Amino acid sequence: MYKTSSYIMLVDDEKDFVEMLGLRLKENGENVIAAYNGKECLDTLEKKQIDVIILDVKMPGMDGIETLQKIKAQHPLIEVILLTGHGTIQSAVEGMKLGAFDFLLKPADFQELTKKLNKARERKKEQMERIQKAEAAMLLRQSKL
Amino acid sequence: MAEHINLLLVDDENDFRQILAKRLTRRGMYVREADRGEKALQMMEEQPVDIVILDIKMPGLDGIECLQRIKANHDMTEVIMLTGHADVHGGVTGIKSGAFDYLTKPVELEHLIRKIKQAHHKIQRILAEKEEAAFKERIQQQMVVAERLVALGTMASGVAHEINNPLAVIQDSAGWLHQILEKPEMQNMPRIDDFKKGLNRINTAVKRAGKITQQLLQAVKTQTTEMVDPSTFVEVSLKKLTDEAITLVEPEASLKNIGITLESCEPHPIAWTDPLQLLQVLLNLLSNAIQATDAGGRVTMILAASLEEAKIIVKDTGCGISKENISRIFEPFFTTKEADQGTGMGLYVSWGIITGLGGLISVESEIDKGTTFTITLPVKK
Ligand SMILES: Nc1ncnc2c1ncn2[C@@H]1O[C@H](COP(=O)(O)OP(=O)(O)OP(=O)(O)O)[C@@H](O)[C@H]1O
Ligand SMILES: [Mg+2]
Repeated sequence: MYKTSSYIMLVDDEKDFVEMLGLRLKENGENVIAAYNGKECLDTLEKKQIDVIILDVKMPGMDGIETLQKIKAQHPLIEVILLTGHGTIQSAVEGMKLGAFDFLLKPADFQELTKKLNKARERKKEQMERIQKAEAAMLLRQSKL
Repeated sequence: MAEHINLLLVDDENDFRQILAKRLTRRGMYVREADRGEKALQMMEEQPVDIVILDIKMPGLDGIECLQRIKANHDMTEVIMLTGHADVHGGVTGIKSGAFDYLTKPVELEHLIRKIKQAHHKIQRILAEKEEAAFKERIQQQMVVAERLVALGTMASGVAHEINNPLAVIQDSAGWLHQILEKPEMQNMPRIDDFKKGLNRINTAVKRAGKITQQLLQAVKTQTTEMVDPSTFVEVSLKKLTDEAITLVEPEASLKNIGITLESCEPHPIAWTDPLQLLQVLLNLLSNAIQATDAGGRVTMILAASLEEAKIIVKDTGCGISKENISRIFEPFFTTKEADQGTGMGLYVSWGIITGLGGLISVESEIDKGTTFTITLPVKK
């Protein structure tokens, strides 16, 4: 399955939530990695190739928005889907402006989450392909010179 | 004279009374006559008057006694006493008993008319004061309600926030088990259908709870004015928006054979507001109206506008709301409906939205007659 080659990271301080959502995604054949705060998320990104991050906005310490900013600064190709409560929808809008791929209101519908996840992964893949093509073209030009 | 003053002329001297009545009528007043105090009181029961012109010296019930009874039963009526030539004493007693003033006979017409007008002014002033007091009282009440709702909202949204996370966990746990049950190797599990049934129940219950927390948080969000996002404000044709709302609830209404009509002033009012949020309020009010109205009833929407504000009125011929309930209907979770019929969030959410949009929402109702909700919105910001 092509899915197995991609990695998803779940970031939320609520351990039970991360675990259950992780189990559901794994049941669907996804590779899931968990992180329980913003710092752990960023640390893991240094070590592992991640395609899509599902990121809770409301976390103690470094919140979702700050984490998102750092992710986008260091790994611009990784797609981020934000999870927000209704009271924090304002931060979802802010997150979209900062380059989040999409957002979901908690408790999120699993079907919807899967849909957005697939779209995010799709875009990441397209971006990667485009970059590879551009690199190939550059190499070609260089070799011609 | 432009304003019609209702007079009652009470005097046992027929000639004097009839001539005076004729003259006052010629000056544009509505005049009725009585020749005795008892008769005057009876006539006032049948039809109220503004001002009574009352002779002090009459057979039977005399003027002073008559005056006292008028004042006891009709506190908005003013009385001008007519006294005999040298009867200063009678006039003073009259004023002490609440007469507006007294005149001595023979009466000079212009003098009397001046007194009548003064008395009429006094009545109008008192009416205006009463109206103002009632208005202040209404505003006061609205503020008390608003304060209570804000406090309730703050608490409720705190709870909603905290409940959202465990809800998500419950939902995903049930969902995960469901996913497992769908696997081919699980199809022969004993009582698999019972498991699925249980999980489905958990899922519907969680969805319902999630919807409530969602509405609560949204209501609290919209009513805190700093969160109002004026970038979503546009010029909204209230006629178009109302038409849309009616179309959306038409199926529900026609099931109960309830007709919905729209009356709009010309030109159609325009409001400067957030159309989606306003639509949600209209839908809430309409579905409440339909639910409260028996088959064959009627729901009327009225649009009106002045220079500063636009009004949207939703009126039904339904069951009405009792005195005890009417002060609570805007509270979150207040409902008189069965658990699966209503959660009591509709009006709370609507109140939050309208407040957030800088408007007002108010209600009037009479049991078994019907209910009227009025939304007032600023025309331009
Ligand atoms: N038009 C109306 N006529 C009579 N009663 C009404 C009307 N509108 C509201 N009410 C009363 O006010 C209560 C609260 O209304 P509200 O819309 O907030 O909640 P609900 O309709 O009970 O539930 P929900 O809207 O959440 O489904 C209702 O249960 C009903 O008793
Ligand atoms: Mg309702």
